[in-house]
Amino acid sequence: MKRQQCWVLLVAASSTVTMASAADLETYASKPSNWAMQAGDYANQRYSELKQINASNVGRMQVAWTMSTGVLRGHEGSPLVIGDTMYIHTPFPNNVFAVNLKDQSYKWKYEPKQDTSVVPVMCCDTVNRGLAYGDGKILLQQADTTLVALDANTGKVLWSAKNGDPKIGETNTNAPHVFKDTVITGISGGEFGVRGRLIAYDLATGKRKWTAWSTGPDKDLLVDPAKTMTWTNGKMAPVGADSSLKTWKGDQWKIGGGTTWGWFSYDPKLNLVYYGTGNPGTWNPSQRPGDNKWSMTIFARDLNTGMAKWAFQMTPHDEWDFDGVNEMVLFTANIGGKQIPALVHFDRNGFAYTLNRDTGELLVAQKYDPTVNWATKVDMKTGRPVVDKKYSPATSGPDVNVKDICPAALGTKDQQPASYDRKNGLLYVPTNHVCMTYEPFQVEYTAGQPYVGATLTMYPTPNSHGGMGNFIAWDPNQGKIVWSKPERFSVWSGALTTAGDVVFYGTLEGYLKAVSPKDGKELWKFKTPSGIIGNVFTYEYGGKQYVGVYSGIGGWAGIGMAAGLTESTEGLGAVGGYKDLAKYTTLGGSLFIFGLPESSGSATTAAK
Amino acid sequence: MSSAKVRMATVAIGLLALSIAAVCTSASDAPAGGDLYQVKEGNKVDPKTLNGWKTWRALACERCHGDQQQGLVGPSLLESLKTLSKDDFHTTIMNGRPDKGMPPFNGSAMVNQNWEGLYAYLKGRSDGKIKPGHLYPMD
Repeated sequence: MKRQQCWVLLVAASSTVTMASAADLETYASKPSNWAMQAGDYANQRYSELKQINASNVGRMQVAWTMSTGVLRGHEGSPLVIGDTMYIHTPFPNNVFAVNLKDQSYKWKYEPKQDTSVVPVMCCDTVNRGLAYGDGKILLQQADTTLVALDANTGKVLWSAKNGDPKIGETNTNAPHVFKDTVITGISGGEFGVRGRLIAYDLATGKRKWTAWSTGPDKDLLVDPAKTMTWTNGKMAPVGADSSLKTWKGDQWKIGGGTTWGWFSYDPKLNLVYYGTGNPGTWNPSQRPGDNKWSMTIFARDLNTGMAKWAFQMTPHDEWDFDGVNEMVLFTANIGGKQIPALVHFDRNGFAYTLNRDTGELLVAQKYDPTVNWATKVDMKTGRPVVDKKYSPATSGPDVNVKDICPAALGTKDQQPASYDRKNGLLYVPTNHVCMTYEPFQVEYTAGQPYVGATLTMYPTPNSHGGMGNFIAWDPNQGKIVWSKPERFSVWSGALTTAGDVVFYGTLEGYLKAVSPKDGKELWKFKTPSGIIGNVFTYEYGGKQYVGVYSGIGGWAGIGMAAGLTESTEGLGAVGGYKDLAKYTTLGGSLFIFGLPESSGSATTAAK
Repeated sequence: MSSAKVRMATVAIGLLALSIAAVCTSASDAPAGGDLYQVKEGNKVDPKTLNGWKTWRALACERCHGDQQQGLVGPSLLESLKTLSKDDFHTTIMNGRPDKGMPPFNGSAMVNQNWEGLYAYLKGRSDGKIKPGHLYPMD
């Protein structure tokens, strides 16, 4: 039951002085009254030590204040809170507002002018997963691939950098992340034949430090064929020369995907950045024989050089669009009586992986929804899934419709992040419970045009509770579901766990819910104006704790509503699957902040 | 294919193209002389037209023209194909209409190979003879 607060102290002691550093970020993040990072902390645990709101009094929580974002469509991510200022961001056009917590007046606004031609090349709604803070700057990754650093006090642009080209289908939806003196960002466009990469910039100046491509020659991958390791037959072995090129036919690695639009975590002691890569380009597997490395891969890279220490591919030769970009939650595992520096990752493919984050060894790989059927299990020696040919579109070939594959392409979990409970070592995971039909077909690549090649329909998992989601508690040491709470729709929001023994998440109908970490029992709920796909966050101001979340449906699940699509196979299949959402919600764009009623004072009641 | 169905298909095509006396008896897989497309049960078509539909699907034309060719930001092809000649269709798809936002498709191997089948497919849609949605081979 290790406390994780030592992260920041280790960094303060060991970091060298550079032109800029994230020392102020680390100081702010160490105060539970702030929410200084999108993921809560470097480890992506989304855990708050605040406990003024607790299991006994959360039932009395009420709206403290609200604010419109002025924008519609999917609201992902969350605001940041540092001291007396909240930093709010919006979906496209990605406005940024600095708000005084004292009276919710605006300190400054940044309203970028972006070419709207970017919108048609964003596959899955015009979302933005949020801001980052470091060295007195607010970082915004715009949809048009402009990364911009704003003065946190004035909103003035200090530097900007361009990391892609929307004309060839490259855009951004990810949140940039500040780790020490570096800004890490990625790229989107896996449905446009984009070649994925992770990019590092100098926090002080915006100069590019390194680019780590997901596919192609070793020098582009930033791997050392002799030193970069991967799980091979039960142990770690070097990836060898041309580890990516060998797994592609001809030049296809150039349109080979491996995009990096998810979350990033960082271990300051090991100095490693952790992230996953997306689908290998076309959804028609027959057009790209081979394992398609390094798509669908977990990478551990040195923050300073970008060199990969290890890599682990979860879904070789993908046939289902199971992007590997979901968050890597860092924690200390307790397996076989040993304490192991680990990470846990809830992949789109329905398997939850626990790995040694230092060495890259595979420790656990188990289904976190028992209805997952495309693979019977993960072979623990090779790390490869054992594919059931009945659910393999590559086996039946193009123009054949494969039915009842579980999970659907949007996975047992998409980008919506889980949360780690420091008290009991469990994770609370927002999941999807959806299956699909999948028919691949021949496509041609044209730069800037969609490069997909599959028709999908999606629907709730058959012969189950009839709903499209579950909110679960997961044991990352044993690879087991501890409890599971069914939901009508996929749980598309990020979870938050607090030391007050409350777990929060939002639903696609628009409910913000508080549940017990013991059994998922509902303690409180409130219906916000629109579906929730944002991440719940918490902070303290003026001695009072608040919990907040954006309300504004969209994202892949909500794409029908967000983009006005009506054909069931549109939205890469999501429009049909989620058409019932229209019975419960519609578009919106607001921020809701909740707190205990004024009269309750500070909570000194003993937790039950 | 039963002779009754052959007769029905013949009548349908005959109504459409008055000058064509298409008498299909047993040869069901090759288009009869002069037939632009062959269709059975609304969604089973000859190989050339099928490849035309596959080209429509591969190039994601529905993004502008709608998944039922009904028009979105681009015009309804159900309407356009009533009057657009095959030659004009060829010119349009190869060069695009840059001022209206349609890119050229002369760089696409599939379009170069199958543009005639694509014309046949769209004409069949415009004629109301081919159903929207997924198409299948005739046998």
